[in-house]
Amino acid sequence: MLEIKCPYCGNRSQNEFSYGGDATVKRPSLGKEVSDKEWDDFVYFRKNPRGKHSEFWHHVAGCRQWFKVSRNTATHEIFKTSKINEEI
Amino acid sequence: MTAVTPLDSIHKKGLFGNHHEKNESDLIKISEIKNLTIVQVVHYKNSKTQLSNLQIDGLNFPLKSPKVSSNKETRIIWSAPNTWLVISSKENITKFIIEKCDSDNFAVTNISHSRAVIQIKGTKAMNILKKGCPLNFHEFEKDNSAGTVFHGINIIVDFVSNEPNTFNLFTLRSFGESFYHHISDASLEFGYVGV
Repeated sequence: MLEIKCPYCGNRSQNEFSYGGDATVKRPSLGKEVSDKEWDDFVYFRKNPRGKHSEFWHHVAGCRQWFKVSRNTATHEIFKTSKINEEI
Repeated sequence: MTAVTPLDSIHKKGLFGNHHEKNESDLIKISEIKNLTIVQVVHYKNSKTQLSNLQIDGLNFPLKSPKVSSNKETRIIWSAPNTWLVISSKENITKFIIEKCDSDNFAVTNISHSRAVIQIKGTKAMNILKKGCPLNFHEFEKDNSAGTVFHGINIIVDFVSNEPNTFNLFTLRSFGESFYHHISDASLEFGYVGV
């Protein structure tokens, strides 16, 4: 079980959170001409690294805010958490 | 208010569980809190209104988790950034909030009928919560509140008093009966009084 530090509520158990996917994926900018491959990469393809990874998490049972977590996918060590509009 | 309360058909009065040879004052007391007005207040992100100038029933809005502003009748719980629950036994509190929180800067929603409220009181009240809730209760003090889970049910725990430990537990009305089962089941070990 992970203990995750919500940027708003502090340390809470993983039970209160929901995983929200890869935080490194960026949506192609609006109005930009996008190739099928670029769109395919954005929608479907993820790196799934072994090691340090930036993720979105949602504090479903608490403040209901989305935020970012930098986590080691192999050891589950959490290095840092940040608000959604902050760099991690 | 004549509405049917969320736990009307399930909450029973009397002694239950391991209450034999125990002083009734030492037992957990479980009750349904009725006729509370629960109002959600959201402060719009682009609003220029200063919250420090705003008071409801003489109480400021707490600016971060887990502090609760409270007086005898009203409690203001921080529920998320720019979001609070005003919980009061005063019937006219909604009118008062709407007067103070104008619709250009705030969204005010009365959610009184969508929540079931259980109060557990007694020296073992914290032990009951520890059975199903992952919150760190060693750091949880009087006038703190937190949104969390109890056996998978989303709840808000409000630590009302520590003489003796008293918690108000809020859940969605539709989860009320199921949540009541979990709480009463967890209390059987200590013995409880349905009040």
